[in-house]
Amino acid sequence: MLELISFFQNLSNGILIGAVYALIGVGLTLVFGVMRTINFAHGDFVVLGMYFAVLLNSLLGWDPYLTLILAVPLGFIVGAGIQKYLLSRVIDEKHESMLLATLGISLVIANLLLLTFGGEPQSVHVSYSTSTLQVSDVRISVVLLLAGLATVVVITLLYLLLNKTEIGRAIRATAENRLGAELVGVNTKRIQAIVFGLGMCLAVTAGVSLIPLLFASPVTTGALFTLKAFVVTVLGGLGNIGAAIMGGLVLGVVEVLGASYLDSAYRDAYGLLVFLLVLLLKPEGLFGKTVKRV
Amino acid sequence: MNRNYTILLGLVILAALFPVVSSSYITVGLTVLMFTGWASSWNILGGWAGQLSLGHATFVGLGAYFVAIGASQFELAPWWSILIGMAVAGIMALLWGKLTFGLHGPYFTLSTIAIAEMVRLVAINEGWLTGGATGVFIDYLPEPFGIDLFDKTVQYYLMLAYAAITLLITIFISTRKFGYQLKAVRDNEEAAMAAGINPTAIKLKAFVLSAMLTALGGGIYGIFLSFIEPHIIFNLLLSVQIALTVIIGGRGTIWGPAVGAAVLIISGEVFRTVFEQANMLVYGILILVVILAMPKGIVGEYAHRLIRRKYANRA
Repeated sequence: MLELISFFQNLSNGILIGAVYALIGVGLTLVFGVMRTINFAHGDFVVLGMYFAVLLNSLLGWDPYLTLILAVPLGFIVGAGIQKYLLSRVIDEKHESMLLATLGISLVIANLLLLTFGGEPQSVHVSYSTSTLQVSDVRISVVLLLAGLATVVVITLLYLLLNKTEIGRAIRATAENRLGAELVGVNTKRIQAIVFGLGMCLAVTAGVSLIPLLFASPVTTGALFTLKAFVVTVLGGLGNIGAAIMGGLVLGVVEVLGASYLDSAYRDAYGLLVFLLVLLLKPEGLFGKTVKRV
Repeated sequence: MNRNYTILLGLVILAALFPVVSSSYITVGLTVLMFTGWASSWNILGGWAGQLSLGHATFVGLGAYFVAIGASQFELAPWWSILIGMAVAGIMALLWGKLTFGLHGPYFTLSTIAIAEMVRLVAINEGWLTGGATGVFIDYLPEPFGIDLFDKTVQYYLMLAYAAITLLITIFISTRKFGYQLKAVRDNEEAAMAAGINPTAIKLKAFVLSAMLTALGGGIYGIFLSFIEPHIIFNLLLSVQIALTVIIGGRGTIWGPAVGAAVLIISGEVFRTVFEQANMLVYGILILVVILAMPKGIVGEYAHRLIRRKYANRA
């Protein structure tokens, strides 16, 4: 019985942390769907969100979730700006140019954060950071639950945007066939800027909801999240949003279960191993439909 | 026979005179030579064969660890342990390549990161194998012909020899059938296949050679550091640094890696007091400049202009 309780405990933790991974992965996969390229700076966008919350909390005493009011619009503007003024110049070249350009952006962001905030890991302490909810015998951390809820809200909004609005339709058209979308009058350059902005919004939101839970440090955290985002998206199949959500949940559960039943020192390795296996055996992803090589 | 051999000879002589002229910047010189060697090794796979790897820190780490563990636990002379390290790196690259060369483009790059990260986690966690997260200390090195291997000048010349070997091999390959096969595979795998080339076999050869040469440099780096920590030597950022050195200098060119190493290490040194730990900022800015303004890299772009001028004059 006790084992069963601890199993459900781990499972709920895994699903909640997986929801945040899903949020990070959805941003990456959305960008991949439209640009057909991997954004290496995605994890650093998450870290930017974390530091934004740290900054506003230490200056104004804002709760991390309150900072979202500013973080989301700012994230959109910065993301769209990066696409419009920087990446749009290389998007038609080989996919590697785009990959390397985002790698460059990642290094610039990480090192600018290091210059501004120093190398000490930082976090935001909130009054509810240790409180838990009791569901029968399973304890659920409030911070994790909020992060999970944020994911559900954001992904629902994204779903509505993509499926119920004209811009969403243009985004889906561009992802499916860029030339075709252009032929029917979609301004794909504008769509790409919007999508990159949206991707950054998602990353920043994930960062803000993670900061009461995790420490942010400029260089290492960004790389870690980029890696996790890759794992999530490849698990699900690149470019497929629904699958990225499943990928995130799978990663969260695999990590938490692996850490508690096998060896916790290898927490990050389990995800990587599953990632590699999926990449080699089923490159279209666990939940992908078609094989589309870039 | 080939102008490049003459250039190499000239550069080696100049580099050999460097410690005599300026002894205070010897570590900077050593670092430039080290990155020249690593970048040239990476270039065989990443430039000539066109497979963008972000996992080469693994081979640096292998080379360094074999030297450190050989010296500290078995009193094994570094030249033997480097040879063993190179052999292990070669075998590992063979298996790694067999596993992942079915993947193309960004998928291959992602798989190299995943494998390299797993190797790093193993190195940190398996203390019995690597001396653990705290690292290994090299406290003993033999003195062949009375030469002190702990001496910085000696280490500088070792690195010079390493950089020269990798450049020599690059020049040699560039004129051989193997070099043309590599370029054919990079430019169009299907066309290469139609011409009777087995792309996977060629890529495997390139990977094994690249890995062994990287491990050779890693071994000398181990002697230089004399204290090896797994989270530093297997770091993803080292892989990124090696790859960006080549891409900034010029992928698939002979002198690109050397130019990239000189530009990056020296500018890193100039800005060291300003940026302190944020040294990789230089890499980030330069790669953006290169991608936006000269996509072939410094040397690639220069060669491109030379050719254009030549044809313009002829016409």
